[in-house]
Amino acid sequence: MSTEVADTTNLSEKKDFLVNSSSLKDVRSFSREVFEKFKINEELREELVLAIAEAAQNIVKHAYKDYPDTQDRMAVRISCTDKELEISFFDKGKPVEKSKVKHRAIDDVKPGGLGTFFIQEIMDSIKFKEGDKPWINNLVLTKKL
Amino acid sequence: MIKFKVTESENISTVFLDGEIDMDVADNVREVVFPLIDSGKEVHLNLKGVQYMDSSGISVIVESNQRAKEKNTKVELKEVSQPVEKVLAMARKFL
Repeated sequence: MSTEVADTTNLSEKKDFLVNSSSLKDVRSFSREVFEKFKINEELREELVLAIAEAAQNIVKHAYKDYPDTQDRMAVRISCTDKELEISFFDKGKPVEKSKVKHRAIDDVKPGGLGTFFIQEIMDSIKFKEGDKPWINNLVLTKKL
Repeated sequence: MIKFKVTESENISTVFLDGEIDMDVADNVREVVFPLIDSGKEVHLNLKGVQYMDSSGISVIVESNQRAKEKNTKVELKEVSQPVEKVLAMARKFL
């Protein structure tokens, strides 16, 4: 884990993980550790951990759908000011087609597709950007504190 | 990592789950739960020991319910932990 900026008003931590479902527990541990350090209350912390885990899961499931044995790594950066939390995800997978990123219809009773819904419920904004090299995708989630 | 314990009584199989349910272990849960449903028994999923569950766990529950309907039986959730209850509450409109 690297601390990019560490003063009392602007904190930022970043860590990279192998793009694999077995990394998801490590993503959650990293997130919990950072939120504890940032003194985010426990209830909000667990919601944020869920949103982060769902976004990381989407990278594994969708951006690397055809590459289950990839050795690529994804990065998660959590930044916090006194007013807002920003969580960024970076990956080198298939470029995200923004038009396809939506949760399924509420009357569509079938498994899957809930991750994006959870992220939307928990976070205030979701933005997809092109990643700066070497990254392909950069997802940015924000939440007012 | 997820641990399982299965107990049987008359026509009910109870699966005690202990750990975190995510994409990495969802198939392990299916491998334990689906054969019990397929045998036609009522299946209770005891979630007291599950401290984290994401959309993958919800998918397993939705699939289990659908499978149980097809087999004319049912799946019930028992002793749902607080963290899981919060996720279920968010997902309720889909369940």
